[in-house]
Amino acid sequence: MAFHKIYLTVNGKDEQVVVPSNMTLMCMVRESLALTGTKNGCSAGECGACTVLINGEPVNSCMVLAAECDGAEIVTVEGLASDQQLDPIQEAMIEAGAVQCGFCTPGVLISSRALLDRNPNPSEDEIREALVGNLCRCTGYVRIMDSVKAAARR
Amino acid sequence: MAINAHPTLPEFDYLRPETLIEASDFLVRHAPDARPFLGGTDVFVRMRDGLLTPKFLVDVKRLPGMNDLHFDPLSGLIIGAAVNMNRVIASQEVQEHYPMLAEACRSVASYPLRNRATIVGNICNASPAGDTLGASLAFEGVLHIHGSDGMRRESLVNFFLGPGKTRLKAGDIAVALHLPPPPAGSKGTYLKLGRNKLSDLSIVGVTALAHPDSAAPSGYRFRLVLASVAPVPFVANEAEDYLANTPITSDSIRAAARLAAEACAPIDDVRGSVRYRKQMVKNLSTRALSEVWEKLKK
Amino acid sequence: MVNPDRLRAPSPVGENKPRIDGREKVTGAAIFADDLQFGNALLYARIKRSPHPHALIKRLDISKARALPGVKAVVTGEDFLGYIGLYLQDRYIFCRDRVRYVGDPVAGVAATSEEIAHQALDLIEVEYEVLEPVLEPEYGASAQAPLLHPDLGKYGVANFIFPEAGTNLSNHFKIRKGDVDGTWEKCAAVIERRYWIPHIQHVPIEPHVAIAKMDEAGEITLWASSQSPFAQRSLIAQAMGISPSKMRVIAPFVGGGFGGKAGVSMEALAVAIASKVKGRPVKLLLTREEEFYTAFVRQGLVAYFKMGCDEKGRLLAMENKFYWDGGAYTEYGVNITRAAGYSSSGPYEVPNIKTDSYCVYTNHPVGGPMRGFGMPEMHAGLEQCIDELVQQIGMDGVEFRKINCLKTGSTLVTGSKMHPTGLLECIEKTAKAIGWGKKAPASAPNKRRGKGLALMWKAPAMPPNAGSSAWVELVEDGTLNLGVGGQDIGQGAFTVAAQMAAAALGVPYESVRIATPVDTRYSPYEWQTVASRLTWSMGNAIVNAAQDARRQILSTVAEAWEESPEDLDIVNGVVISFKSEKEIPLKNLVIYGLPKPDGQGWRGGPVVGRGNFMPTYVTGLDTETGQGERAVVHYTTGAQAVELEVDLETGRIEILKGVSAFDVGKAINPDLVKAQMEGGFVQGMSSALFENLQLQDGVVQNPSFVDYRIATTTDAPKDLQSFIVEVAQDDGPWGARGIGEHCMVPTIPAIANAIYDAIGIRFEGPPFTAEKVYLAMLDAGIVE
Repeated sequence: MAFHKIYLTVNGKDEQVVVPSNMTLMCMVRESLALTGTKNGCSAGECGACTVLINGEPVNSCMVLAAECDGAEIVTVEGLASDQQLDPIQEAMIEAGAVQCGFCTPGVLISSRALLDRNPNPSEDEIREALVGNLCRCTGYVRIMDSVKAAARR
Repeated sequence: MAINAHPTLPEFDYLRPETLIEASDFLVRHAPDARPFLGGTDVFVRMRDGLLTPKFLVDVKRLPGMNDLHFDPLSGLIIGAAVNMNRVIASQEVQEHYPMLAEACRSVASYPLRNRATIVGNICNASPAGDTLGASLAFEGVLHIHGSDGMRRESLVNFFLGPGKTRLKAGDIAVALHLPPPPAGSKGTYLKLGRNKLSDLSIVGVTALAHPDSAAPSGYRFRLVLASVAPVPFVANEAEDYLANTPITSDSIRAAARLAAEACAPIDDVRGSVRYRKQMVKNLSTRALSEVWEKLKK
Repeated sequence: MVNPDRLRAPSPVGENKPRIDGREKVTGAAIFADDLQFGNALLYARIKRSPHPHALIKRLDISKARALPGVKAVVTGEDFLGYIGLYLQDRYIFCRDRVRYVGDPVAGVAATSEEIAHQALDLIEVEYEVLEPVLEPEYGASAQAPLLHPDLGKYGVANFIFPEAGTNLSNHFKIRKGDVDGTWEKCAAVIERRYWIPHIQHVPIEPHVAIAKMDEAGEITLWASSQSPFAQRSLIAQAMGISPSKMRVIAPFVGGGFGGKAGVSMEALAVAIASKVKGRPVKLLLTREEEFYTAFVRQGLVAYFKMGCDEKGRLLAMENKFYWDGGAYTEYGVNITRAAGYSSSGPYEVPNIKTDSYCVYTNHPVGGPMRGFGMPEMHAGLEQCIDELVQQIGMDGVEFRKINCLKTGSTLVTGSKMHPTGLLECIEKTAKAIGWGKKAPASAPNKRRGKGLALMWKAPAMPPNAGSSAWVELVEDGTLNLGVGGQDIGQGAFTVAAQMAAAALGVPYESVRIATPVDTRYSPYEWQTVASRLTWSMGNAIVNAAQDARRQILSTVAEAWEESPEDLDIVNGVVISFKSEKEIPLKNLVIYGLPKPDGQGWRGGPVVGRGNFMPTYVTGLDTETGQGERAVVHYTTGAQAVELEVDLETGRIEILKGVSAFDVGKAINPDLVKAQMEGGFVQGMSSALFENLQLQDGVVQNPSFVDYRIATTTDAPKDLQSFIVEVAQDDGPWGARGIGEHCMVPTIPAIANAIYDAIGIRFEGPPFTAEKVYLAMLDAGIVE
């Protein structure tokens, strides 16, 4: 099997990583970079727990090869806060009580952040549509959507 | 979805050739162990299940032409194979000239998945449930393919041979989808029935497109393509002919929908039964055709 | 001088304190089991599983797998003789002579990479002799069915479970109360129905994961996504033939459990494999497909109901037969059978009742504890029958329920008396919020609108001596370390634990830290995080521990000040005297104590409080009649109502509004309670509309998110209302009892009753998929 040396930026830091061909971006982030905030829920692109930003766009990282990411800018949940200051969406989720077990939370935060970046004042239906690929089993989604609305207001 | 599905991805070699010739060449030389891929959302899943076992995955996303997305009023729309569905949805030109295609893309999975999913990939995967296949067919799409003997064009009309089977052969790389300019006054809609409100595969998908046509006895020409009711995207020829030849009323629309329901050939599977699918073809075709008719009348 | 503001500091109990683990979770810092780092020593496990629902293992050859470079161990059932099981020990860790469901573990591999372990599976050769499977519980209960557990009579079993050797019945629970047979003729209306409630699954977003390591001395450490570190230790140690103290379970954050990570399922596999590679940790992470195929399921139920009432609408008699499709092993499921049996009246007073609840072995996936523990399955049919009875007698559904529902002092199906309960208030609040009795017009000509309501009750189902314990340790800065053995699986257990400890001791909530991860070496014992029991049971233990610490503190200070402890209090982390108005912050004394006067030494010392709680009053139930003085500790009761629309074109159901009201005794954190009600409603709705683990010939047909559909954002109702009712539980901390499971229990029948209200059709069972609804409407002539 082939190995590839890739250069990429992760959460604002330049990295160089050697990855096997079959390593997904999700595994690279979790294993090679020890950024375990991104979660593995299904490895099939269905649950959204592995969502990260690639060049500003949310993607299911279990469905992307690390080798494809040479030159890319990646943001994971660990990259949302800066210098101890939480991102408004993170604060809003805590305040809204939208976190229960927390496993879907990183993916939800990334998808929400990306939504607010492209649509700073989304309607409820737009929020629902944007987060439809993030499965949550605990919260029933109501508070998650409330927190996106609250973060939009900040 | 096998009980012993691979935890992540099985071993293979990833490569990214610089030119189309290099890519086609490699694919031919290593057939059947080499496969091109775009977004990977279908390929990776099937590899985990052991249904595909390529030794080489060839990344064709950065090859020339793959990322083009442009419209010309005379020649129509070119969608490069690597253009993801979100880009298509966001394109002003698609929204203006091929809104039904954007509608179809929007119904696929989720926003993050659409950042990887491509229309050409959807076409080459050739699942009868593919949401963008109906619009691509209705808009008379033509695939631009680079193979071991250079570039060629293939109309989508006879492109799909069965579930997961197309006319592509070893060495072929689909480079772009070309949609000619739609006839003046075209109106269309895509209706999709899933189990959830959004984000499911289609149990039934209805693509309806029509335009005024003085050559047709009814004054209009309709296209009606159905997803998930046959081994390939199902063109409801009888319904289309009927609507070309019969004055368009709510009754004739219902009759056309019935024709489509009778003609299609769904199977019982874990998502739906034959009986339900045929009923839904009838109901959703009626609704889709009515919506298009309303748009046409305005 | 005592600052009067301190005295007005509100108790954290009853406040919407922010989650204690919120920041960790939103920053991605929270460590789940798959996030733990083990370095290069880590080995990866994969499991060889049976492709047949029922077969004998004729030949098993692991030699080629063993020889694959990178493989460190291959184990089979030959290596492990011990039985495992919570209430009934009917399961081997790895199959020994036969396999009983598709996915039953036959061999396990540990290798230096997941890829190598996966390849090794293909090199394991297994020959099976396929046997006729049992795929239906009534059939399984009959004399014609093949015997799935010939050794049933020899299994270790809890003394309140009654397996019938020589059959496939691993438990038979009976209620015989009053004279059911003689009462039917007195009934003005009788309903008789059969319901089939299919299998569903927990589907936590985090799959099961376990890492195990055995050291050279044979001591085991298990890290797992676990609701039950202590139970896992106890059961696995026993199966491995070692003493519990030689095993340690460490349980980091759990990414959702819903019961599926309770008891023992896949964790024993990791331990068993690890025992053959001493010194190296072995990780087993289930793929999502393995989750669907092989993790615990909620067992299917074939239920027969018969119930009757008099002309005034008073329930007179009920006759129930429950055939639980328990699956290949029913070591946990036997208690679901029992719990449903002793709850089989629903939350109603019924003077004559006869119930037979059978747990039946089948060659289906293993039935285990899932949120509700038999209650959702049972209420799904029961509350629909109530609605039908209501209709037959010509009454209103809410009025009927108000007449018959349990009130304080009502006689229960087991003969005991109902404790104070706010069920009536729950019904009233729910009915009002849904606009009961008011018919709203459908939103479009192709829609039909309906409302439905359902009640529920549930007691924590557990052995009579399930205990909790806690310790409280004061730190030099006056903060509190709280040791617990219960797990936060998302419900907020750590948060309310901190609130209760803070309130009981007299420190701010923000001063409390939970000693996590739960680690059986250091954490105090907790039976399991199940049964919605933690707030009540662990809460009591926490209060006892805090009060123990408080006594120590006040005793030291009282001595130092020469006052009486009765005149002292701890408020906001400061010991104050009401008498002398002296005060001293905790941090000044909780480690080093207080100096005696004139350099005569010191008094006090490090403060560590301990407490436990175990109900002492649970009696047994008569094996023939199911009657007893107090079978359970208490019940949580509640109601849900739903307004929905049916789409006549597609059969699709859209839930417009959901209302929940539950009597939780005391909401320690009202926001967390409401969050449970919301999540429970949506999970219940999901099970009502979408979920079905489709089994055909014993094989799961939809083992992925693609075809096992769960609710997504677009399915969540736009209008969800949650009401908290508080009628105190006499032995609950501040009167609290549980809520976690209950809010998912009445949702299926509430929706079914609303569908009936909309289109006049009932179904054999959930899910009420668009297809099922549409084809029924077609057959009924409602659409064409």
